[in-house]
Amino acid sequence: MKTITVTVNGTDYEESVPERMLLVDFLREKLALTGTHVGCTYEGVCGACTVHLDGEAVKSCLMLAVQADGHAVTTVEGLAGADGLTPLQRAFSNHHGLQCGFCTPGILMNMSDFLARHPDPSDEEIREGLVGNLCRCTGYVHIVRAVREAAREMREGASGVSA
Amino acid sequence: MFPSPIEDYLRPSTVAEALAALERYEEGEAVFLAGGQSAMQAIKSRMLRPRCIVDLQDLGELRGITRAGEGLRIGALTRYVEIANDPSLDGALAALRDAASHVGDRQVRNRGTIGGSVCWNYVASCMPAVVLALGGTLALAGADGSSREVAADDFFLGPLETARREDEILLDVRWSRLAAQSGSAYRKWGLVRDALPVVGVCVLVTLNGDGNCAAARVALSGLAGGCQRAPAGEAALTGTAGDAASIAAAMDAIADSVETHSDQSADADYRRQLIRSLGAAVTRTAFERARAA
Amino acid sequence: MSSVENSADWLGARLARKEDLRLVTGQGRYLADIVLPGMLHAVFVRSEYAHARITGIDTSEARAMAGVVAVYTGEEMKAHVKSMPQPVVTPNLPARYPTFWPLAVDKVKFHGEPVALVIARDKYVAVDAAECVYVDYEELPVVLDPEQALGEGSPLVHEEDGSNEIFAMTLTGGETPEEQAANAAAVEEIFQRADVVVSQRFRCHRTGITPMEPRGVLCDWNDSDGLTAWITTQRPHIDRLALSDLLDIPAEQVRVVAPRDQGGGFGVKAPFYRENLAIAHAARTLKRPVRWVESRYESLMNVGQERDQINDLEIAASKEGKLLALRNRGVADNGVGTTGVYWGFVMPFLGAVELPNAYTWERGDVQLRVATTNKAPLTPSRAFGHFPTRFALERGIDMIAHRLGMEPAELRRRNLVPTLPYTSVTGEYYDSGDFVKVWDNLMERVDLPAFRAEQAQARAEGRYLGIGFGCGVELSGVASELLVPMENQPGYGAASVRLDPRGKVLVFGGDAPGGQGHETTTAQVVAALFGIRPSDVVVTTGDTGTTPFGSGSIGARAGSYFVSAVAKACAELKDKITRILAHDLQLEASVQHFEFVNGEIVYLGDDSKRKPFTEVVERIIMFPINLPEGEVGGLEHTAFFEAAKPMICFNADCCIVEVDADSGNFSIRRWVTSEDVGTLINPNIVDGQMHGAIVQGLSNAMFEEFVYDEQGQQMSADFEHYKLATAADVPDIEVTYAPTPCPHTPLGTRGIGEGRPSSVPGALTNAVCDALSPFGIEITELPLRPGTLWKLLREARG
Repeated sequence: MKTITVTVNGTDYEESVPERMLLVDFLREKLALTGTHVGCTYEGVCGACTVHLDGEAVKSCLMLAVQADGHAVTTVEGLAGADGLTPLQRAFSNHHGLQCGFCTPGILMNMSDFLARHPDPSDEEIREGLVGNLCRCTGYVHIVRAVREAAREMREGASGVSA
Repeated sequence: MFPSPIEDYLRPSTVAEALAALERYEEGEAVFLAGGQSAMQAIKSRMLRPRCIVDLQDLGELRGITRAGEGLRIGALTRYVEIANDPSLDGALAALRDAASHVGDRQVRNRGTIGGSVCWNYVASCMPAVVLALGGTLALAGADGSSREVAADDFFLGPLETARREDEILLDVRWSRLAAQSGSAYRKWGLVRDALPVVGVCVLVTLNGDGNCAAARVALSGLAGGCQRAPAGEAALTGTAGDAASIAAAMDAIADSVETHSDQSADADYRRQLIRSLGAAVTRTAFERARAA
Repeated sequence: MSSVENSADWLGARLARKEDLRLVTGQGRYLADIVLPGMLHAVFVRSEYAHARITGIDTSEARAMAGVVAVYTGEEMKAHVKSMPQPVVTPNLPARYPTFWPLAVDKVKFHGEPVALVIARDKYVAVDAAECVYVDYEELPVVLDPEQALGEGSPLVHEEDGSNEIFAMTLTGGETPEEQAANAAAVEEIFQRADVVVSQRFRCHRTGITPMEPRGVLCDWNDSDGLTAWITTQRPHIDRLALSDLLDIPAEQVRVVAPRDQGGGFGVKAPFYRENLAIAHAARTLKRPVRWVESRYESLMNVGQERDQINDLEIAASKEGKLLALRNRGVADNGVGTTGVYWGFVMPFLGAVELPNAYTWERGDVQLRVATTNKAPLTPSRAFGHFPTRFALERGIDMIAHRLGMEPAELRRRNLVPTLPYTSVTGEYYDSGDFVKVWDNLMERVDLPAFRAEQAQARAEGRYLGIGFGCGVELSGVASELLVPMENQPGYGAASVRLDPRGKVLVFGGDAPGGQGHETTTAQVVAALFGIRPSDVVVTTGDTGTTPFGSGSIGARAGSYFVSAVAKACAELKDKITRILAHDLQLEASVQHFEFVNGEIVYLGDDSKRKPFTEVVERIIMFPINLPEGEVGGLEHTAFFEAAKPMICFNADCCIVEVDADSGNFSIRRWVTSEDVGTLINPNIVDGQMHGAIVQGLSNAMFEEFVYDEQGQQMSADFEHYKLATAADVPDIEVTYAPTPCPHTPLGTRGIGEGRPSSVPGALTNAVCDALSPFGIEITELPLRPGTLWKLLREARG
């Protein structure tokens, strides 16, 4: 066992974990943050477990919890602030960007990182950005629309133009 | 699946500490973890069953791209995202960006490292073939304080095999002198976007004063034998002006000379066809980049 | 969305879903999120061989490991659990139903079959222990090809059956062999005189729909209540009956709960699975909660495998382009067939039924044989059984058009069933709709002449564009008439609608959705009928303890059967509400004299006579005094809905591609659909169903394939090898509607989405063949990959 200190969604946690525990299990089972999902066995392809590690989208199933010692993790539970849903979360609902919702947390985490770096993406860029997240329900059409509309809203919000 | 039991997790802050950590275990029992995007797959599937993980994340000295004189070093822990986003990697090194910007996906590129990839040397990976084609040199440090440089040609020994000894750590991939008038390019094909390469082709050409190819290096990924040079194509490109006919002839020469295999992603014939079509496209790009360099 | 919020017209509103808030904030509760005190973790040991005799299992090392609570083998479990088949999960179709137990007994029949079960306090330890269960196998010869399996001297998968033919049927001509023979002769006579005949073998690979959330089950036991099982399932009520029968637990002591949030089903969560039985048995024995969460590896090795068919199809047509007759000899690769409800062959059975599609045929001769092999059992996947038969038929029609030199779109239009109702040559009843209207709507969007001009221009530049079409008659729910023989279950929809004293509406449904938005569509229907807001409606699904019996969230039942049952229950309640309201207002009036709108009930004869909905509801539930003669208070009603005949929906697809004739690479430039979904409840949700289904069809057709090597080892059990389409691999989808309200449902709605992927492979491959028509290429096999196309091009060029 190792004792690790991790900041998750702004809260500091000191927890004792087995060395082999995956970060995704630490989040889901130790911290009961079950919004982060598991969709692969070992391959780390589906992206449902995507979280932010120090602000960057990474797959929490391809990391050990001990590797996150000293770092900050944000999960889908940490996206919305006191002022409510983020524009991205709102857009996913408004544009029906989710059906079963299983892949959604990972997509929101990846796309929130993506939009921070690509504020005005083309649809092609959004689709490329989504390669690390498999969705089985939506055919991606409404996901792309939701990301595009969230980007627009965020740009207009940033420039003070009202939506 | 979950990793088999791990007894110890170490996070050294210097190369020396990292190497010392290994010494406490029998060969193979302690594993270096860089970005972990391949190694964690192997650990979770229990193909690797390390007793100890030596996490290299704190070795800041191994991170980043530095230019020194005519040369350049890419620290072993430099991530794909950093390589993909470095515009100074152009001309002779542009293939590094071609490859890094399409490895896996955004999440993988945010963690995966060039050093992890070349030391793992998986057959269906991009970086080993790129480093091989670009003629990089791999700088290794040993536990006894020794250090050595190994040319890429001598480093990649076959699938999952490299010249790195268990008690060595890769410091960086370096080029002491970047050839002028050179251009490189890399492309791969997989069933879906940015998938592991079923075939990948990397080409580096150096032009002489007339704009003809003075030297070429070609390397392939995705073949059963692991990343490999394609000497038949290199010879065929040398001396040409990079016109369509000579490129096609060179790619035919490669396709006819390498051994390709059949699996669920592609049969042997189609792999040869991919070598021709991807090879022609990247060779054209490499020539264009060389002319612009 | 704000304009909609103020509208009373909830039917047809593009409302944001009620499900979304919890799901975009990580507050969804899927099976793997449910934890009970003292919960144990289960891991299955699975067969390493496709066919082998089990000569010994050594569990001693595993049992001795710290943290391991129990290890079960097949032999041990057999003593406590009944074997399959059991009637509740067995169709009323004549077949060789194999006997099997939760864990393999004596021999294993496919790579991945459960052999032993490890229960431990920690899931990591359970995996450690599973590695220490040592199984001795004696390998047996495998049979992996369905035609070989049906031939003489093949190894037998289920030895006691004496044959690998699990199911065979002639679907045309009548009930008796004599009638069928006469029909076959009549079909042959048509082929003899036909101007043009296409005769072609079509192959579809093994693929299907893999939900993002794998399967899982959590079982809890106590001696007074019995078993509570949380299962990732589309049909909790059937699972309850099956668990009761197979574990010999009285039915009142079994409760099954499908978690409200399920990560997709698509048919994969519709069968009754042996793993559920094993976990329930473990929980009962240990009197502890036991949870199994399937790994992706197990999922890809066990479920979602479908579509594996060979169809030898023949089509006869006249030179004027009239389709005359079709003849098909289908052979389906069933795998081992060991899944409850479906047994593998039910999918190819329906695939054969649906072969004739939307076209008129004078006659058909359709026969099917289904072979057992040493592969995972077929499990249902959206476009249940008819993805391969539609691929064959839609390709065959284009091949006829090519022979005739006729525009394939025109050939289709000429042969669409012109008026409904209609009964197909395989006996499928098409109740209502307007195929030609849907088709013409598609063609209006596509502008075929403009495309042909663009195509000619492109060809002159050495570029190859192509256009392809396909269409699909799909079941709108599955009527009892079909579901009783096919799955031994009723087809009706059932819903309980309960009004609460605060005027809120609680709806209970026994089907268990997995992302289709039932909470929202149901709330919109209820809100429209009661003149209240969707936010006043709460929908509960999937708990057998609280919901009326339902056969499951299968076969596009929501928009047809379930919603109609909801509407019926609402109508009954409105009747009662208005009876009492009329009495209170001293009016001689009944329900048709009142309007439920904007939260009020308004008397149409004098709109000053109105009462808030909540007030009337509260009065009837809480203050049941001064009621009309014979009335009692309270407002709750359970309704069942079934139309007199089966119902359908219909769609037509158009695909435009560009193909690189050197490399075989192709890209989809445009995908347009036209849909008859009846009355739309929430167009956002319907759009989403279409997008998802079409992309699933594309992903199945182009990327996904379950691969077995010559020993029957599964080579595609992870997402590096079983490739799903990413966002960058598929096009935008243009969805348009040409609806005809269904006359047989209270709201005109149709069930949609289930069969929707089936017209995709035809439209896609027809487009590619159209692009490559200068080379005369006719695609006859899936998957469609650049490599195979490159080979076809190379052969065509000589």
